[in-house]
Order: sequence, then structure tokens, then C-alpha cells
Amino acid sequence: MIALLETELLTVSESLVRRYELANGLTVIHQQIPATPVVTVDVWVKAGAIAEPESWSGMAHFLEHMIFKGTDRLPPGYFDYVIESQGGMTNAATSHDYAHFFISTAAAHLPETLPYLAELLLNAAIPDDEFDLERDVVLEEIRQSLDDPDALGFQALIESVYQRHPYGRSVLGDAARLLERSPEEMRCFHHAHYQPENITVVVVGDVAWELTLDLIDRHFNLFPSRTDCPQTDIAIEPPIAEIRRQELCLPRLGQARLMMAWMGPGVEELRTAYGLDLLSVLLAGGRTSRLVRELREERQLVQDISSSFSLQRDSSLFTLTAWLDADHLSQVEAVVGDRLTELANTPISPSELARYKRLLSNDYAFSTETSSQLAGLYGYYGTIAQPELAALYPGVIQSFQGDELQQLANQYLSPLRYAMTVLKPC
Amino acid sequence: MPVSQLATHSLQSRTVHRAILNNGMVVSVVENPAADIIAARLFIRAGGRYEPPEQASISHLWAAVVTKGTDRLSSQEIAERVESVGASLGTDSTADYCLLSIKTVSVDFAEILKLSAEMLRSPSFPDAEVELERRLTLQSIRSMQEQPFAVANNQLRRAIYQHHPYALPSLGTEETVVTLDRAALQHYHQTYFRPDNMVISITGRITLEEAIALVDQGFGDWHSAYANGHPLPLPSQILPELTSRPNRVVTVQETQQAIVMLGYLTNSIQSPDHTALKLLNTYLGNGLSSRLFVELREKRGLAYEVSAFYPTRIDPSHFVVYMGTAPENAAIAQDGLRYEVDRLCTTLLAPDELQATKNKILGQYALGKQTNAQIAQIFGWYETLGLGIDYDDRFQEQVTALTAEELQQVANRYFGEPYISLVGPDVAVELLETAIAG
Repeated sequence: MIALLETELLTVSESLVRRYELANGLTVIHQQIPATPVVTVDVWVKAGAIAEPESWSGMAHFLEHMIFKGTDRLPPGYFDYVIESQGGMTNAATSHDYAHFFISTAAAHLPETLPYLAELLLNAAIPDDEFDLERDVVLEEIRQSLDDPDALGFQALIESVYQRHPYGRSVLGDAARLLERSPEEMRCFHHAHYQPENITVVVVGDVAWELTLDLIDRHFNLFPSRTDCPQTDIAIEPPIAEIRRQELCLPRLGQARLMMAWMGPGVEELRTAYGLDLLSVLLAGGRTSRLVRELREERQLVQDISSSFSLQRDSSLFTLTAWLDADHLSQVEAVVGDRLTELANTPISPSELARYKRLLSNDYAFSTETSSQLAGLYGYYGTIAQPELAALYPGVIQSFQGDELQQLANQYLSPLRYAMTVLKPC
Repeated sequence: MPVSQLATHSLQSRTVHRAILNNGMVVSVVENPAADIIAARLFIRAGGRYEPPEQASISHLWAAVVTKGTDRLSSQEIAERVESVGASLGTDSTADYCLLSIKTVSVDFAEILKLSAEMLRSPSFPDAEVELERRLTLQSIRSMQEQPFAVANNQLRRAIYQHHPYALPSLGTEETVVTLDRAALQHYHQTYFRPDNMVISITGRITLEEAIALVDQGFGDWHSAYANGHPLPLPSQILPELTSRPNRVVTVQETQQAIVMLGYLTNSIQSPDHTALKLLNTYLGNGLSSRLFVELREKRGLAYEVSAFYPTRIDPSHFVVYMGTAPENAAIAQDGLRYEVDRLCTTLLAPDELQATKNKILGQYALGKQTNAQIAQIFGWYETLGLGIDYDDRFQEQVTALTAEELQQVANRYFGEPYISLVGPDVAVELLETAIAG
């Protein structure tokens, strides 16, 4: 029987979003969008890289690969074949806070495809021989990332920002540690974390609520027995109190990189995080933004400069990346510092503020157009906080005033306290 | 209505309206009220294949500078107009066309379309902006060496296409970029950017009548240059004949992975073999159940990324299979890729494989037409390539009708000796050379 522990309603993109919690603790989110030919099932699991014991680094991502290797009832590759040969697509991704697995398919195929995805997630067999084979694939994925200067630089940067919290870890892990892991340990990790209270199943498309709930209730039902698995203590990351500089020399680099990072609060201070998101586009979100205009267009000191703001459960990350000639590195770093000081000390004009509010609100509209975009949004917020938060974004963004942003810049974006990674050709 | 022709095409999945303005500009419209968004794609029959060889990259430079000034507006004024309404406006140049893309919430569409018309009709190509973007282009060319895949792909295309414009990436080469200036851009723009050489495709919360009226306001009084009572003819395209002369191209780099690519010269979108090649590409390289993925990744653990691509092109295209693998696996990778392509020439696809591949290509085709921007792109592109709106249905019918025997015949027509491209450390190169010599 289904126990309706909680019913909450929210409205995103003009149709109702339902959220229910099954008796076993699993969260279901559903939105029926009539006349969409596609339905997306997106299953989010609180089993990302931060759930790994330190010596198991890379386990969460490797498990995401092994989920597709079947169960006692489904041979390896069978699931992929079923989904794709019906014209659907499937894939998965792992980050620090989560792993998620999704299918997009014609709505009519949902009753045939959703049960297979549940079977894979609940009953992953993690066969010994497939474990060894797939580890070679993951080692190739690691090699590929080592040939990508931007990925290498970013990893070095987050290791410098997060010296205690596991957000500094590489999600892919490293080859030496992966070679020490066993299928038994992976099954243990799977049984410990792939449990209903850690899972959010999102279904978005032209499919009725009753059918969705019935399918999920029947197929996300028998979970593996819980095991004791080495736990990890998640340390609180102290604020950055100085300028942390590091420099990497890479062969074949066509131009240098300047990557700078500031730490912000996690999802419990959502308003602050969204304020930093606004500041990130104001600084480097388009041709009129302060740093792009000055550094790329006017002074021509950089090939490009961009900002990124990433909201995570425990901590958010604000980054600026410039691609530039190595001769300009210190000058550009100094300009960025000056502009941050200015941001903290000078009021932001109403027209500038209005422009970036509108930009972010429209970006939000543009990124909630398809069933898979919506499912990803609900699943993400459902995993790091509450899915209801997904709908708040445009309203919160619109509510900001210049003085509040100025104060946030002052508090979080210090020109004297940040981490910085420089890549130089050698 | 200011149009000379208007037709409504009822396709399986949706209705597409097509009109031609009196000045020759083609308009296609799909009404889709689902979201409060309108997307438009403006295609111009210019781009890589239209570039004189000594001006390779001019389309790329056009795309970088056309948004940076008009007769009335500066670069920052244009950016402010776009960003202050939170619109997205981008330009691009590809092998077969140039593109201006916009996406807005519905209420802002008219204003941004008007701005787009101003940029396309009266760009000023300011000297300082040309100089800035030219310098940045040179830097981008140098930065391509950072990406092993780009190095492998560039050298493969150069080998296959020789003196044909498809040989070069849209960035061109350092030699060609340094020759470009404002005068060259103006000449290029005046030659190709005219209403009878353009297609505008609009999708979103807008009616046909509104869409036509807005396009007419922006472009209706724009006319191509006339001589002797006729529009000036577009320059004729004389492109080199292409013949397959397979060889091997190698770049030694101390990378962690070796990139192994096999390439084949194939055919144009207009060829009757095109749909079969698309299906073979899907069979080999598309998705987690594709043949290369299953045989070389899932069963042998050789690669993380192993795939195939076959771009749709006006002139003869190329069919590529590739993977990134540990350097010591380079020869095995080459053998494995080769074996799977050769197998298509000798072994018929089993009935269930054929049906699964058809379902996959048709399903993914449908999944690729979800957003307004995707819908606008596909119908505008078909029009630009001269295929017509109905190609949307024809393509799907052709896929459905293909037989295993036809696929094998097409495979035999194109998959002889491959061009081979390798990027990786010495050990990878030695292993591959030894294997091929042996």
C-alpha cells in the first residue's frame, strides 16, 4: 500500500508538479505535460563522491558505470538495448552530491522501460568479470580527462578550495586507488546507499499521475538488505583566509589560464547563493558584463573570461576563468581584484541590476522547456534540499536590491581571500 | 500579405508553414504555444564551402564581427539591447551555411528580430573589432593543439579533402586569417547576404500572420542588387572533384591517450545513399547499444569514448569511426574499428538488428525536435539545403524502407581502404606502423 505521507504542490511552467513520499521513504515527483511526445524518468540517488570513504575515491562514479552491467535477471547491455531499440535514450552522471540515471522515451513505452531501470538500480549484480572490464573503461575516462587542460586545472582548483571537505575530490578518482577496489566493496557501497530514503524518482511528460505512482510503487519496492559500509565523515571546510596560489605547467598549452575561486554557502542559505549567482553574471556573463567588457573588449588582455556559479549541498563555488597570454596573468589578476573591491564599495545601478535579473530569469525559462530539463531540475533540488525550491528561483532573483548584492560581494568575494590556479605552457 | 507564395505542410508530427517574401526570402513558421518562448534561425547560404581558399575563415570572422556594429549601433549598444531583455543571440559559421540564432520570451521577440535584421542588413564591421576578433581567431587556431581529438580530426579532414574547403576547420589557418580585413568582410557580406539567399525559420508562441508581418517589417524592403532587370547572380561554385586516396596521417604528442580515427570519403545529402549511411552510422556509433560501443568498450574495455560520425553535407561528406585508448592499445584499436566497418561489407544486419537500428534513429530524430530552437533549426536547415519541408517525412519513410541488402551495398560502395589518423605518443605510432606493415 502507498502511504501518502506528504503532498506538496508547486507550479513550474504552467502545470502542476506533485510530490509524494512512499511508505519506504522514497520520494516521487511527477509532472504531467500534455501533448509532449517524450517522457523522462530521472532517478537521483544521494550516492555521489562525498559518500565515499576516502580510500574508495572514484567508487560512486565507477558504480554508476556498473549499474548498467545488469542483474541476475538482466544480462549486461540488455537494458541499453531495450531502451534504445524502442527509440529512447538513456544515460547517467555522477557528481559530488549525487548519481543520477535517466531515460527519455515515448510515453507509451514507460510501462515497459521504467521497471527495467528500477531492476538495475535496486538489484545491480556487479559481476566480478564485468568489474575488471569496466574498470579499464573508467581508467580510459581518467586518461581522457588528463589530456584536457581545463579539466585538469579545475580539479587542481577545487582541491585547493576544499582541503577538508570531499568536494575537493576527483569524482573519477585515481587509477591507483581504483585498482585496489573489489566488487565486494562496491556491492557494499551499493547496498548501503541505494536505499529508498536516498532516492528521488522524477517522471515528467504526458503520463498520468496514477499510472506513474503505480509503476514506481510496484517496482521501487524490494531494496537490497542494508550493509555496514565504511562511512565517511564530512568535514566542514573553513573559509579561505588567504590567497592560495598554485601554478601548473602543461605541454602543448596554446594559452595560459587564470582560474580563481571563492567559496559560498550551501543550499541552506539559498538566498545568498542566488545572490552570488547574480553577481557571477554581472561580472562575466555576457559582452556587457563588467569583466568581459573591460578585459576582452576594451583592454584586450584576455581571449575570453567567464564566470560560473555552482550550487552544491554543503557549499557553493564561485569561479572566474580567463584564457589569456601568460604575460598578462598578474595584470588580469590585479584588475579582477580591483573590480571586486569596487563591487563591494560602489552601488550597482538599477539598470545594470535589472538587466542581469532578467537574464537569469529568462535563462531559467529557457532551461525548463523539455521534460528532461524539468526532471533534472526537480531531481537536483530534491537531492540537495527540497524539490519545492526548484520553483523559487525566478522570484528570489527578482527580489534582490543593489545594496544586498553589494554586501554579499563584500562578504564572499574578497580580493584578499581566494584560491587560484594558473596553467602555463612549458 | 507581402508574400508571393504560401504553403502549409501537414507533416506526421506537426504543421509547418512556408512562405516566400516578394524579395525572395524564404520564411518557415511552426506555431508552438507550449512555452512562452520564440526561437528563430536565420540561415544564409554562405559558410565554409563558399569561401575562396585564400580567405578560409572569412565566415568565422563574419560570425564574430557581424554582431559588433551596425550603421547606427556600437558593439556595446547591440549587446545591451540583447542582454537587457535577457535574450540569447548568437552567430555561427558552418561548412554549408552561416547562421544567426535568437531566442526570447515571446514579448521581446519583435524587438530582437528587428535588431537582427539591422545587423544582417547594415553591419559596419568596425576596424577595431575586425582586428580584435582576427587576433582571437589566431589564438584559437593555436589552442586547437591542446585537444588531441581536434588534432586527429583536423589532419584526417585535410587528408580526405585536400584542396576542397571541407579540408579546413571553420577557423581556417594562420596564413589565411592574417590576410582578412574589413574590406574582405564587406565584400563577402555584400556577395552572399541578400534576401534571396536566406531562410528564416521561426518556432514558438506566435501565429503565422504575426511571424510573417514581423519578418516583413524587418526584411521586406530589402532587395538584392539588380542588373539588367534581374538580381545579380550569385558567384558560381567550382569546387575540386573529390577522389578517395586513402593514406595515413600521424601527429606525435605526449598524450595520455592515443586517438585513432578511420575515415572514408562518402557522399552528399542529395545522394540516394545518404539515408543508408545515416543508418549505418547509427548502427555503429550511436548510443550505449551501438555496435562499436558494445564490441570495443563493453566487451573489451578498450575505450571510454568510441563512436562514429557522418555529418550531413551539401558536398561529399565523410564517415568516421574513432576512439581514444591507452597508447599501448593503438594497434588493437585500429584493428577493432577496421574489423567492424569491414564487417558491414560482408555480413548482413540481422532482422532484429536492422529493426532496432531503425527504431533508434527514428526515436532519436523525434527526441531531437523538442525545443523551439531545435524545431526552428531543422526546418530552416532543410530549406537551406534545398530539401524542402517535406524532407522531415521523407527521411523517416526512407529509413523505414531500407533493407539489409541495400545497407550492405552502400557499405561496399564506400568502405574500402580507410584514411587513418593517429595522435599519440611514439609508442602508439610504432605499434600501429608495425601492425600495418605486418
